[in-house]
Amino acid sequence: MRDGNRTRWTTRGTRPRFPGPAATAVLTALMLCVPSILSGEAKVTAIKGGDIYTITSGIVRNGTVLVKDGKILRIGQGIDIPKDANVVDVRGKVVMPGLVAAATMFMPAAGSGSDKIADSLDPFNYSLSMALASGVTSIFAAGRGGPGGGPTAVIKPTYGDLEHMLLKEPAAENINVAGYQWMERTNFILKMRQAKDYLRKLAEYEKAKAKNEKLEAPRKPPDIDACLRLLRREMPGRLRAARAGEILKALELVNEFPFRLVIEGGTEAWTVADAIAARDVAVIVTPRVKQRPDEDISQPSGSNVENAAILKRAGVKFAILPATPYFSTGGFVGRDLMTLPMDAAAAVSGGLDEQTALEAITITAARILGVDDRVGSLQEGKDADIIVLGGHPFHYDTFVEMTFVDGKLMYEKNKSIYFSHIRRYDDKVPGLPSDARRGDPDALPPRELQRGANP
Amino acid sequence: MRGNSRKMVLLAWVSFLSTLAWTCPLGRQASARADTSGTSGTPERVVAIKADRIDTVTNGVIQNGVILIRGTKISEIGTNVAIPGTAEIIDAGKQTVFPGLVSPVSDIGLSSAQRGGPASHARYRVADVLYPYQHEYQRVLQAGFTTLGLVPRGQGVAGQGAVIRPAGRSREEMLVAESGMIWIEFRADGRMKDVIRKALESAKNKETSDDPDVAAMIRALQGKIPTFVSCARPADTIHLLDLLKERDKMKLVLVLGIESHRIAERLVKEKIPVVIPASIEFELFTLTRINEPDLLARAGVQIACVPESADVEGLEDFRRQMAALVKCGLDGQTARKAMTIYPAEALGLDYRLGSLEKGKDANLLVLDGDVLDATTTIQKVMIEGKIVYENPWEKSQ
Repeated sequence: MRDGNRTRWTTRGTRPRFPGPAATAVLTALMLCVPSILSGEAKVTAIKGGDIYTITSGIVRNGTVLVKDGKILRIGQGIDIPKDANVVDVRGKVVMPGLVAAATMFMPAAGSGSDKIADSLDPFNYSLSMALASGVTSIFAAGRGGPGGGPTAVIKPTYGDLEHMLLKEPAAENINVAGYQWMERTNFILKMRQAKDYLRKLAEYEKAKAKNEKLEAPRKPPDIDACLRLLRREMPGRLRAARAGEILKALELVNEFPFRLVIEGGTEAWTVADAIAARDVAVIVTPRVKQRPDEDISQPSGSNVENAAILKRAGVKFAILPATPYFSTGGFVGRDLMTLPMDAAAAVSGGLDEQTALEAITITAARILGVDDRVGSLQEGKDADIIVLGGHPFHYDTFVEMTFVDGKLMYEKNKSIYFSHIRRYDDKVPGLPSDARRGDPDALPPRELQRGANP
Repeated sequence: MRGNSRKMVLLAWVSFLSTLAWTCPLGRQASARADTSGTSGTPERVVAIKADRIDTVTNGVIQNGVILIRGTKISEIGTNVAIPGTAEIIDAGKQTVFPGLVSPVSDIGLSSAQRGGPASHARYRVADVLYPYQHEYQRVLQAGFTTLGLVPRGQGVAGQGAVIRPAGRSREEMLVAESGMIWIEFRADGRMKDVIRKALESAKNKETSDDPDVAAMIRALQGKIPTFVSCARPADTIHLLDLLKERDKMKLVLVLGIESHRIAERLVKEKIPVVIPASIEFELFTLTRINEPDLLARAGVQIACVPESADVEGLEDFRRQMAALVKCGLDGQTARKAMTIYPAEALGLDYRLGSLEKGKDANLLVLDGDVLDATTTIQKVMIEGKIVYENPWEKSQ
């Protein structure tokens, strides 16, 4: 972390002492200043000079983002920056909204078996600090087992800060009924029918009540609260479906019960894009997943790099997610949330336009999670979840250099340990002649490094 | 260790002999009886320990001092102590006298069976299931521990712990405090929070109760016994502290694990003492090692250390683990306190345990070197004026 040096056991620090009289005087002076801060004169942060990818309203070249109280105050070129503002110079860099991970496999919670994620949020989870390093500032988290059970929430990686961590709970209903779970599917459909029936009777009762007719209030069947939230379209229902058959099975549910469906996976969604587009269904695609075609059938099947592009042409709303949606510095590096833009770039290589690909990891993902009123794009009034990149988000050489969450600078690449082992070709490496590394023919390496040099 | 059965037999034999020595009415004890002017009429033994070095822990080191023990308590300590003629003299010579070690949290000798699910069992008492005839207690004694806090296992409010001396042949002889603490194993989740919330609410604003669960919680809320809460991760701790925002007179002690230094500021602010394993762990996903007790102590948290592992081997290795912490940055004096007076304070028994002071229990160790020195051997262990262990092996010259 940023205080990595302090936590090494070889480093001896000094014990904090009670402040002496001089320090107390300074403290008192500082405390006198507090009222002016509390009276609404919070300091403004200006992120100045970058190319601002607002996502929803184009790119502002060499612009400035003003941030106050954790919200975006203004965006544009040539904005007046208040004199006492905290100016962050990001000339030549890319400024964009923090990325939105439409799903994760990690659980940012200390306990398990909770009914509410808020009861067990762990602000010291290491995945959160890695999320900051990856530029991911909103994460959908589901209780143990992923779809099929447990609570759901959207959280922010406010490392060390429990208070501002929860963005939304609950965020979706998990329904795991598109695969071979025939028993669960039957139960789910029965529950949904009960709920639908109850809503119909409730509407009749309300109507009768309005006309002062006598009608008995309907009795609510047990355990149908989740179904009611789905049918009232308060919550989307999420399920995993990769094969075309699974997707069509999921769509059948929407035919009978008009709820907002989110399909996770969707590897073969491109084969049934029209059927998906005909309904209000969103898909979370993983462009880099590989799936062999089924050779027993003549219809198209298997994964397709053009999946996202075909869905776009059909008019389907989709977010993009890596194949292994968690954060790690080992294992499948490059296919997890540490490199979310690379998955969007893979969709671009399959014919998707850049703008839609960017939206799929920001605003569209936020819409699918129901948090687009607060995150997912750079707009005045929205949460100041902002990332600063070294270059274009889809370039393989681009790193996240800064991450702001709620206007607070939470991550700086050059102060972090996560990528300190990776150096650019032209970085000055101690012990190596930098000019020679740049390929300057005039700058010869030191004698001992020259080929054939006689020691 | 297992193959050394002959050694173990000998050790057991020696300890038996030393016990025998105290139970036999010897002539010098009879003469000591004449010296006591106590009104109670019971004979009071007087023992004087002379040593080159007496580490009191709380009041510095006394060179060439004497500890005078009357009965079970230290009656005088210092350099100018008049030794009564009837006193039995233990000349420790060039050796060091150090207070007996205190382990605030342990489950040595208890059934390790975990009861499932978060639940409230405040009525459950370790004191009722204590079984004295276990060889582990002898090994604990040989490791220099004169006081143990024994806690029941189980999620939620697991029950009442007991404070014991690891010596004695009956429950009564072993128990220092029958109901020494309330032991809670906490983790941040909804069901657990409900259990704790209900247990607290049942005892709130009450003086007495017929329900033994509630009665125990009342004692905890009134601060008559400390409340020990184990939290594995810092997230658990902040959820707990949010839950216990209005904890009134409750004496909260947190039993913490890795990464606790992340919340050190809050622990200092709320003045919560901490029990922490004496271990140096890797920071997750890095090669950085964290001396957790050191970081907490530097931040200003009062730490009581327990061994890395809860078994007897852990207790036997405890002094070396503490030495490793000191080698890697922990202040030596803090380390000494973290083995003695701080755990005694956490247990609420610092008025009688944890240091060598006038009026306190005569629980002490005679060592042939510094307590943190790896080559030091424990030569004698005394609990309340009685030698309960003597090293049968002469150190080779």
